[in-house]
Amino acid sequence: MKKNLGILGLFLVVFIATAFANPDFVNAYNLENLIRRASLYGIIGIGVSLVIITSGIDLSIGSMIGLVGTMLPWLLMKQGASLFTGLMAVAVLSAAIGLFHGLLITRLKLQPFVVTLCGLLIYRGCARWMTGDSVQGFKDHYDGLRYLAIGKIPLGFLPGVDNFNLPVPFLLMLALAIVAAIFLNKTIYGRYLLALGRNEQAARYSGINTNRMVVLAYVLCSLIAGFGGILFALDSNSIQPDNFGGFYELYAIAAAVLGGCSLRGGQGSIFGVVIGAAILPLLRNSINLLGLPTTLEFAIIGVVILAGVIVDELVKRMAAARRATLAAQQASSS
Amino acid sequence: MKSTSLFALLAALCLSISGCTKSPVPGSTGTTGSAGGTTTTTISPDAPKVAYVTNGIASFWTIAEKGAMDAGNEFDANVTVKMPANGVEDQKRMCQDLLAQGIKGIAISPIDPDNQADLMDEIYSHTNLITHDSDAPGSKRLCYIGMDNYSAGRMCGQLVEEAMPEGGSVMILVGRLGQENAKLRRQGVIDELMDRSEDRTRYDDPNDGEIKGDKYTIVDTRTDGFDYGKAKENAQDAIAKYADLGCIVGLFAYNPPLILEAVREAGKVGKIKIVSFDEDEVSLQGIKDGSIYGTTVQNPYEYGHKSVEILAALARGDKSVIPAGGVINIPARNIRKDNVVEFWDELKRLTATDAPAAPEPFSGEPPETGEGTATTDAAPTSGEETGTPAEAAKE
Repeated sequence: MKKNLGILGLFLVVFIATAFANPDFVNAYNLENLIRRASLYGIIGIGVSLVIITSGIDLSIGSMIGLVGTMLPWLLMKQGASLFTGLMAVAVLSAAIGLFHGLLITRLKLQPFVVTLCGLLIYRGCARWMTGDSVQGFKDHYDGLRYLAIGKIPLGFLPGVDNFNLPVPFLLMLALAIVAAIFLNKTIYGRYLLALGRNEQAARYSGINTNRMVVLAYVLCSLIAGFGGILFALDSNSIQPDNFGGFYELYAIAAAVLGGCSLRGGQGSIFGVVIGAAILPLLRNSINLLGLPTTLEFAIIGVVILAGVIVDELVKRMAAARRATLAAQQASSS
Repeated sequence: MKSTSLFALLAALCLSISGCTKSPVPGSTGTTGSAGGTTTTTISPDAPKVAYVTNGIASFWTIAEKGAMDAGNEFDANVTVKMPANGVEDQKRMCQDLLAQGIKGIAISPIDPDNQADLMDEIYSHTNLITHDSDAPGSKRLCYIGMDNYSAGRMCGQLVEEAMPEGGSVMILVGRLGQENAKLRRQGVIDELMDRSEDRTRYDDPNDGEIKGDKYTIVDTRTDGFDYGKAKENAQDAIAKYADLGCIVGLFAYNPPLILEAVREAGKVGKIKIVSFDEDEVSLQGIKDGSIYGTTVQNPYEYGHKSVEILAALARGDKSVIPAGGVINIPARNIRKDNVVEFWDELKRLTATDAPAAPEPFSGEPPETGEGTATTDAAPTSGEETGTPAEAAKE
């Protein structure tokens, strides 16, 4: 928690500043939208953080989302597949892609960057070719399934909560975050992941089957990305194969890194990733609600995140210096 | 051994995934094939080869592609349709590849005409160059086929006025404002709602904030850069920010369906009017259901059809197909609840893979010319049948 104070501070500063500048920002409808978007990004952020912790990277997430997001409505609406078949097909495909990445990285010793960069190109191409580049969607069907992405749970029974509804994706993200946090921190496999990310050789010499753990990380990442892809598709309901999910890998990686994952591996907290994932949709929402020019959007996002990371780094350094001084004082007094 | 069989399994999976795909390309006689953003039809080896290059990939262009392919059959030309996925660079590469193959004419929708002068010159120096959909009046193109985006914007503004006769606040959502067609459409909407005179050079900077008129206020214009997720977010944020928002206008084909999603989720269907551009299926269904007031449609089928007709004639040395002013106007029309079914049925007929090669309204009719502009008021249905008298007068 302490490690995530910087990113949490950035989130709170932007949130409070926007709320003061435009009270509409905190109306129930907007908060529901914001929570839903942050949850969707949070899900893919959690997935990629498992890979980043092993000092790997997955650049194919956006294209995975594009492929899964187009494939599911294409199977259900165009090919007449049953819901079970459609969901199983995209789940198996997602896991297979993760397995494919993991095996290429561990068996052929290819660099994760190259493998997943090629994946980025391959899956985008497959999505476009499969659908003939035509827009996919669920039209008015599958309302039950779409509830997973756009559904809301009324919280009117709670005291003081009148018209606020909790978006269902938040619950999905929360469940995933809890499972991921337990996996990472309380199970032996999670500790293996952290250990191999810090020093793979040392982990291997201490008896950990590092190859199997790396493959597991990529499979989980792809499965979660596939799950995210389904939710993004259900939310949008209008999926253009050539750009759906574009750049989402960078959003997911940014969320993981902002949340405290080191690209060198061995570090990461799920709570941080969840907050990190909320920063981007929060900034985009703030820009819209404050009426700032959309042309400045990327610049504003870049500047705010960079400022937050710089402050975070400076605070960490000051804390480290203070700890060093304290340790020196204790050593000299004893 | 284990990993070998695993790889074999993966390869088989990949093949099976890819093997069960690909819907047929819009058909025509002769052979037709497709690869990525390219569709080619070969009528006969001796027929001239011409190309139709779009500015991106969209359902809109699939309709135009059908028109181009049908015209290929009708006017005996081998047609290649190219749809660049990645903007200007992709478009340039595709055109240069076509020129290298000795193409006898290119119809292009320039993405950034002001900065594509080199490409336009390059095409012109090798072959016949015409523009469609979005013009490059400063180039050496032989003619432009398309609608007047400013007028279409004004027509879209008329739909807003009809949807909200008592006035109110209007939000405009669009993919990009860098494109000439987007700028003109938006300006047309604004000028119509502000009750201004026609002036195609006027430009209200979206960064200048609200534009207030007597009855209508344009509260903002937001762009999404073709990111569908962002497009929906923009609609949601507009609903959150403006409690009394009266109307949202979506100027690119994919905007209105996403606006409808956002409005529906907010439970404000009917309360916030939606005015659309182009003929996305969801938008047409929305008009039918009453959740979208109306849409201003272009005629992409005719863009493709007319372009190939002109290019085929030029390739055979017939320059008489170029009108005096170099513009062939294919006017936009407004579609509302009363004519949406008729329009949609006709659209389905034109884009069906087994549709007749040359639909009746197009065949053999020379374009009307007047003041340097040739007009083909063709399908899906004629303006007189579906448009209001006001629209007819406007055009």
